Amino acid sequence: MKYRLIGLLLIGIALALSSDAFATPSNLLNVLRQASLIFLSASGLTLVIVGAGLDLSVGANLGLSACFAAAAIKSTGALSLGLVAGLACGTIVGVLNGLMVTKLRLPPFIATYGMLWMLYGVNYWYMKGDTIYGFPAEFRALGSGDLLGIPVPVYLMMVGLLAGGIFTRYTTFGHEIYAIGANVEAARLSGIPVSSRLILLYTLSGAMAGLAGVVYLARLNSAEAGIGTPLLLPAIAAVLIGGTSLFGGSGGLAGTLIGAIVLTLVLNGMNLLGINSNWQPLVTGVIILLAALIDSITRKHAEIRA
Amino acid sequence: MTSHEGKQFPLRGLVLILAVIVLVACGEVKDGSGNKRETIALFTKNQVNPYFQTLRVAAQAAANELNVDLVNYIPTENDSIREQMSQIEDAITKRPSAAVFIPVDSKAMIPGVEKFNAAGIPVVNLTDRADGGEFVSFMGCDDYAVAADTARYLFKKMNGKGNVIIIEGQGGSSNNQKRMGGFKKALEEFPDIKLLASQTGNFQRSVALQVTENLLQAHSQIDGILAANDSMALGVIEALDAANRKALVIGLNGTKEAIDAVKAGKLLATGDCDGFLQGCMGTMGAVRHLRNLPVPKEIIFPITVFDSTNYQGADVPYEQRMCPKWESIVKE
Repeated sequence: MKYRLIGLLLIGIALALSSDAFATPSNLLNVLRQASLIFLSASGLTLVIVGAGLDLSVGANLGLSACFAAAAIKSTGALSLGLVAGLACGTIVGVLNGLMVTKLRLPPFIATYGMLWMLYGVNYWYMKGDTIYGFPAEFRALGSGDLLGIPVPVYLMMVGLLAGGIFTRYTTFGHEIYAIGANVEAARLSGIPVSSRLILLYTLSGAMAGLAGVVYLARLNSAEAGIGTPLLLPAIAAVLIGGTSLFGGSGGLAGTLIGAIVLTLVLNGMNLLGINSNWQPLVTGVIILLAALIDSITRKHAEIRA
Repeated sequence: MTSHEGKQFPLRGLVLILAVIVLVACGEVKDGSGNKRETIALFTKNQVNPYFQTLRVAAQAAANELNVDLVNYIPTENDSIREQMSQIEDAITKRPSAAVFIPVDSKAMIPGVEKFNAAGIPVVNLTDRADGGEFVSFMGCDDYAVAADTARYLFKKMNGKGNVIIIEGQGGSSNNQKRMGGFKKALEEFPDIKLLASQTGNFQRSVALQVTENLLQAHSQIDGILAANDSMALGVIEALDAANRKALVIGLNGTKEAIDAVKAGKLLATGDCDGFLQGCMGTMGAVRHLRNLPVPKEIIFPITVFDSTNYQGADVPYEQRMCPKWESIVKE
């Protein structure tokens, strides 16, 4: 954790030295606002991965939830119904993922990858290539508004981080997730109800994708079927850069927050410095690999000393 | 995984796969084979870009007027080369009378076009030019000219001076290259317009929004923003609104949402090669060829820059729009 923070600070210092516009309060808030969207979509996913699962459907789920929320608001005019529709869609998809993984015993990769395509299919059919747009200012404030100078999605991120931290550190369920992720058989033998815990994890991941979908809708002021497609890989990357292992049993939400900020900083920095668009994918790739490399070296170091 | 679980997986997996097939089949467009009506196979690039949706509605309108069947082939994965290739193979086995074809990639789809040629199915190449194969006709618009015209319009509105930024489309796409070329050409004609930054938004609204937020941090005075498509232009507008900043914004494609933004005074203009007209003309051209009527080898559609003075023509739901008469567009 410590080393990842140092890595993040190094990137920050390098950017501050190379661009005057970087280390200003308004740009740092801007980065936090952008990172909060990645964090929200990656938060439930983090816990699933800690439990040695995987949820590839978060982006598609986010997209479908956003579209349902948009349709609900457009047809009823009630903002609360939009929120309910988005959360319900996300949660139901999460439950289905959990059932596929536990009751049908499908590998999480296959189950949620299949779910991803089914959600795209439903969304394409539902939206028919159209865009739903133009929402009231009170709703848009959820994504693009400020409260006491701090962007609203940043508050949501903080609540998620705090709730998640308490949940993983101080509740039995939280401890059980790590036990399941570290060794599922051992967890089962020690009496942890593995199936029901896993279903709850996937449900949580789905619900967070639904919430992120609503926030995303408020920020973009529009929904189209492809809205969630570009979000899956950054969400997974944020989790992994944050030090949560794909094999399960370690990591957590604080790491994912750092991962989300690193990813956001890369684009922010390239934009501020005006790096040629053609080089941007390469730079992004190199920085992600460097982040992973620093992590693995420092971890080995720590293991040797221990 | 234990052997017990291993045994269960194939059966249950199969049930899931069957369920998926049923789901997909429900969404499939009706198959036009089995009667003597002419069938036109229409290939578009994806399900998500409103531009292609407009084009498909128009093609259907033309097909209804001409009394032919239209079958849509749309990749489920956006702009997927692999998927469009296999859709071509599927289409050929069903033997449509003709194909109206928008390649997802100008070069990579040449072998696909050659498959049509080998099967003796006539092809009208629409919107994006394929770099090889035999065609009845190419019909499209000059992306370079649309971008240049729309940029010139913006620069004139800025009285020929000020700071601008460009939000580029997907790197490596030929569409984007042509549009960037048009923007750059117009910039050369206005020496007092200063380009502060040119960054990619990947043709996506969410990316354009984020990139604009970042660029607003770096540049305190931005007078104009050129976006390589309408979705991105609308993302730009969200970023400006949230930051309480003002700039003149242009987009390209003339989508319904962009026209609404022009009407609301948020978007300065959107340059268009009318997707509706393209859908009409592509289908009509293919049917004319089947009925032995002349079709020019190339049709380049006229350009419109929609602004607050002329958006009304595009401000009609496409379901209510009618295809124009062939002769009103093609004059021989």
